[in-house]
Order: sequence, then C-alpha cells, then structure tokens
Amino acid sequence: MKWTTWENVGVDRIGCAWLILREIDPQAEFIFIPRNGPIPADAEPFDIPGVRFSHHGGHCTFHELLKQHQLTDPILHRMARIIDEADTVQAVQLEPASVGLDLICEGLRRISPDDQTAIEQGRIVYDALYARLCDETGSRS
Amino acid sequence: MKRWLLLIYRIPRQPTAGRVFVWRKLKQLGAIALQDAAWVLPNSPRTQEQFQWLAAEITELQGEAFLCDAEQLYATDVEGLRRQFMEAVEAEYNEILSAVKSKERELTTLGKRFQEALSRDFFGSQLAQQVRETLLQAGEESAC
Repeated sequence: MKWTTWENVGVDRIGCAWLILREIDPQAEFIFIPRNGPIPADAEPFDIPGVRFSHHGGHCTFHELLKQHQLTDPILHRMARIIDEADTVQAVQLEPASVGLDLICEGLRRISPDDQTAIEQGRIVYDALYARLCDETGSRS
Repeated sequence: MKRWLLLIYRIPRQPTAGRVFVWRKLKQLGAIALQDAAWVLPNSPRTQEQFQWLAAEITELQGEAFLCDAEQLYATDVEGLRRQFMEAVEAEYNEILSAVKSKERELTTLGKRFQEALSRDFFGSQLAQQVRETLLQAGEESAC
C-alpha cells in the first residue's frame, strides 16, 4: 500500500513510518509531497492536518495510528508518549528521552539526501529505543 | 521566509475547557497576543508546524483558525515586536537567576524551567549563557 506525508520529515513522521512498516504494512511505500500540496488519490495520507491519521485531541500522529489500529503493546504506547512530548505541547513532561529524540530526528533529516533515506536511517533509532524500553519494562516486573 | 507567523482564531465560548486549552498552548509556545485578536510567533519551520497543529486542534474544537505569514506587522515600531519577545524570555531568565540565589532553591526544577524558557528564546538572548553557567556552577557547588 502507498502512504503519503509532507516532505521534511521529523520525529513524528519518522516514528510513524517505522510503526507502519513494523506493525501495519510491512510492504508500505512512502511518497513525500510538498507542504500543502495535493494528496495522491491512491495513497493513505498521514501527519497532514485534517486527515484521519493526524494529530487528534492534543496527541501526535503516532498515537493516533496506535489507537486506530488497536495496537496494545505497552512499549509502543510509551513511545507514543515520548513522541507526544517531543512533537506536541504537553502540560507535563515525563519523558527525558523526548528532547533528545526530537533533536536526533531533526539531525537525521539534515544528514540524509532525501526523506526516503531519512525514514530508512531512522528505523535503527526507533528499533534501538524500542529495545531499550523493553529492558526497562522487564526490569520493573 | 517571512519574519512573522500570525494565528487568528475563534472558538466557541462553551465548553470553556477548549478555550483554556488553546490559550495555555499559545502561552507555552511563547506566542504574543496582538491586541487580543491575533497571536504572533517568529517564523521558522518549527513554529510553522506548531501553529499549524494548533490550528488543526482549534478546528477540531469546532473553532475557526487563520494562519498567515508577514514580513512587517508594526507599521510604527519595527523593532517593537522583537523586543517584546526578548523581554518576555529575559523576565523568565531573571526569575531563574534570582531563584538560584535563594536558600530554598530547587536546582532540578530550575534546570527544567531554563530548558522551557530556552524553547521560547527566539532571538538568542545574551542572558541564556549566563543562566546556563550560573546553573552549572550551582550544580558543581552543591555536589561538593
């Protein structure tokens, strides 16, 4: 399936692409369109204002993807909170990782020649974060 | 890229929670109100994104939002707006600086407040470096 979002990806969209490939559509193909540009008819848009998979109720698009696909993995929900704090204005900040993750994702886009490369490179960052958060949950139980 | 971003919005009076939510977010972003009608932020990819999502949230709350960019906003005082942003963040920095001197200081909290203030420091105030060094020094002292 084709997915589309605005170019110049950051923390939320790199995370969404990772989540889509991991949990929703392993064959996903991504198309990057200019800001405010027309959305291709054959692609599912995400993280674009007004579409189904977007910010809702003060939460990021990653959060909305989890919700609408009924993904219940607590690690993914923890990641949604981290991205929420990185990408949206939250009244409380509980996740120290969010600031760093945001910076790293911005830097990733900067060192990548295009958005496709940025989301590919970003997968290792999110894989690493996921693995580390599994550890944490493990040590608590 | 034009210098300023402008958000003009209207939101139903009831429920008040929605209005308060939007107002709090504007404050947290460091936006400044122009005559209670429009909110302004210096234009950057980051602030564009922040305002754009806030506009989407206002729409979700049954409100109406307009977003535009502008090169010049004050016809009479070009530097006035820049100064307002600067004064707002420097007030925050000064509060932190005086709090560090107090006996009941909470360095962890002050460090957090500094980080928050930094996100609203759009024009690179000279005070930021001073606050950073003061906090670092206070941290060293409390360690020994």
